[in-house]
Amino acid sequence: MSEMDRRGFVKAGLAVLAGTALGNGITLFQARAEDGQDKAKTRWGLVIDANKCGEKCSECVNACRTENNVPLFGDPRYDGHWIRKATITPENVEGGKSTSLPLLCNHCEHPPCKHVCPTAATFVRHDGIVLIDKHRCIGCRYCMVACPYKARTFVFKNSEAWPNPDVPKRSKGVVEKCTFCAHRLDKGQTPACVEACTKSGEGAMIFGNLNDPQSEIHRYIKENAPHGLREDFGLKPKVLYKGV
Amino acid sequence: MKKIRYVALEGTSGGYIALLGALGALSLCGFWAAWTMFQNGHHVTGMTNSVPWGFPIVVAIYLVGLSAGSLVISALSSVFGKDDFKPFSRIAALLAALLLIGALMSIILDWGRPERIMVPFFHMNPRSMFSLNGMLYSAYVAICFVYLWAMFKENEKLVKRLGLLAVFWAVLVHSGTGAIFGFVGARELYHSPLLPPSFIAAALSSGTALMILVLYLTFKWAGKTLDENLLKQLGGHLTIFLVVVAYLILVENLTRSYWPANYAAQDFLLFSGNKYSLIFWVGMVGCGIVFPMMILFGSSARPLARTLFASALVVAGVLAERYIIVIPGQVLPVDIFPGMKVVSDFQDGVIAEYSVSSAEAIYGLGIVSFVFFLYAVALKFFELMPETEPSKREDA
Repeated sequence: MSEMDRRGFVKAGLAVLAGTALGNGITLFQARAEDGQDKAKTRWGLVIDANKCGEKCSECVNACRTENNVPLFGDPRYDGHWIRKATITPENVEGGKSTSLPLLCNHCEHPPCKHVCPTAATFVRHDGIVLIDKHRCIGCRYCMVACPYKARTFVFKNSEAWPNPDVPKRSKGVVEKCTFCAHRLDKGQTPACVEACTKSGEGAMIFGNLNDPQSEIHRYIKENAPHGLREDFGLKPKVLYKGV
Repeated sequence: MKKIRYVALEGTSGGYIALLGALGALSLCGFWAAWTMFQNGHHVTGMTNSVPWGFPIVVAIYLVGLSAGSLVISALSSVFGKDDFKPFSRIAALLAALLLIGALMSIILDWGRPERIMVPFFHMNPRSMFSLNGMLYSAYVAICFVYLWAMFKENEKLVKRLGLLAVFWAVLVHSGTGAIFGFVGARELYHSPLLPPSFIAAALSSGTALMILVLYLTFKWAGKTLDENLLKQLGGHLTIFLVVVAYLILVENLTRSYWPANYAAQDFLLFSGNKYSLIFWVGMVGCGIVFPMMILFGSSARPLARTLFASALVVAGVLAERYIIVIPGQVLPVDIFPGMKVVSDFQDGVIAEYSVSSAEAIYGLGIVSFVFFLYAVALKFFELMPETEPSKREDA
């Protein structure tokens, strides 16, 4: 067994042990490990080509709301946002070109939300997706304060609407965010936003396995060198942008 | 040194009953506010997705800080050998524990799911400052109570050891509390290595100031004589703490203001004329540091009155300081695209609105009242107050 293999084995073992020890809290998703993501068979990532993202298009946002029952309360202070559209314009260029793009959880390799979570309710799944165990979240909101991308929203009110029964019903008092549609990935589908973006013909999103050298996303990153937002923070986001 | 006998308060006077009634009623209002938040969700508060931490967190760290001063005053005799302060040691140790219990309540009742109170005990995250502080705070309360128990047993050796442990633990508790904010790299007004030490400094200033007021009022209302020189000595300690607080705040803000990347944030905090700069200059700097220093240093006439007035200002000023630690850092939007103007449906790039809602104000007032309700009840049932020659009996 090589040195790296042995290390990987020990880490996997520790992850399994941790998973066993924390077992009864896990009801939605299983297995957790921050490290070793790069060595996992699958590590999901998303590239967004802002040049292709239409300013008027919000198909990704709508698809996410439908898929994940993300509620709108008609009050921007409390509305849930798992993915949102933003328009950015250079501050110091008069009439500078504006760019439209979606913002969502970046599923960081070093997620500060996970680091600050007092109950370890936020965890990294084996395929690199950052998830929240909503049965363990106490609603302290430290993660919202710690996230530099404002990717998390708090459930300020109960929402009765539950159109898609494939995702858990939400209850107030916990924090939520994009799951990369983990429930769809587990069925072999792509995230709802990606599917909608492709269907709409914009084709601004490429989703795939970062660890698979044959994947489209892997090729795209090699050729186009997209980058993460605020890479100076060192969080290693797995959502990358081209044309920003 | 003369042995001090401690006695319980008689607690039968009309004034005492009225005080208990008022504090009890305010506590109930606070619990009602907490229940309202729990029942309806946090939209009854001023908090939003942009400002997820509101007044309950301000109150929590305020109470954590106040607890430090009490503990240090309690330890003055047992650890630092200042026997003159021994009459205060029991009261001060009790108040240190109660204030921290209040802080814990303010944090926990503000959770979205306070009924999951046991979860953090079973699932810890050693990297989380909240998780660590949960352990530090709980242990601190326990240490304070054991320390108090040792005082009741008059086991001097044990008192000294536990006092030392409690002081050391208080340093951990207050550093940890500062680190909750200082360690957050995502927000430019939070991220600072100076927050843990400046949290300790402000804790000592506000805690000493609170103890000066509490001791004065407790002894006065209980009709007991209090050596005013001791309060004036505490006032002397207070000035030293104020100088340290001022120095740390100055260094932190100069450091941040020096680097152009922080111009916008510092301008927002210090010079924009909004409510935050007002609270910064008038509340935190004025009430919390400058006015009390002027009063304490200004003249030597009526020293007791000056000490009491300065203490009241510091107690109010440090509440402003805690507000400035918690709120402006969230109100300023996270800078996802430096150098770009951002527009979205989610208030990206917008300076967020926050004001303390009535539910939050009642919540804060209720928890503080509850702390003093417990304090007043404890005075009646435990031998906490030193026996003195009765002075003019007023309310007791």
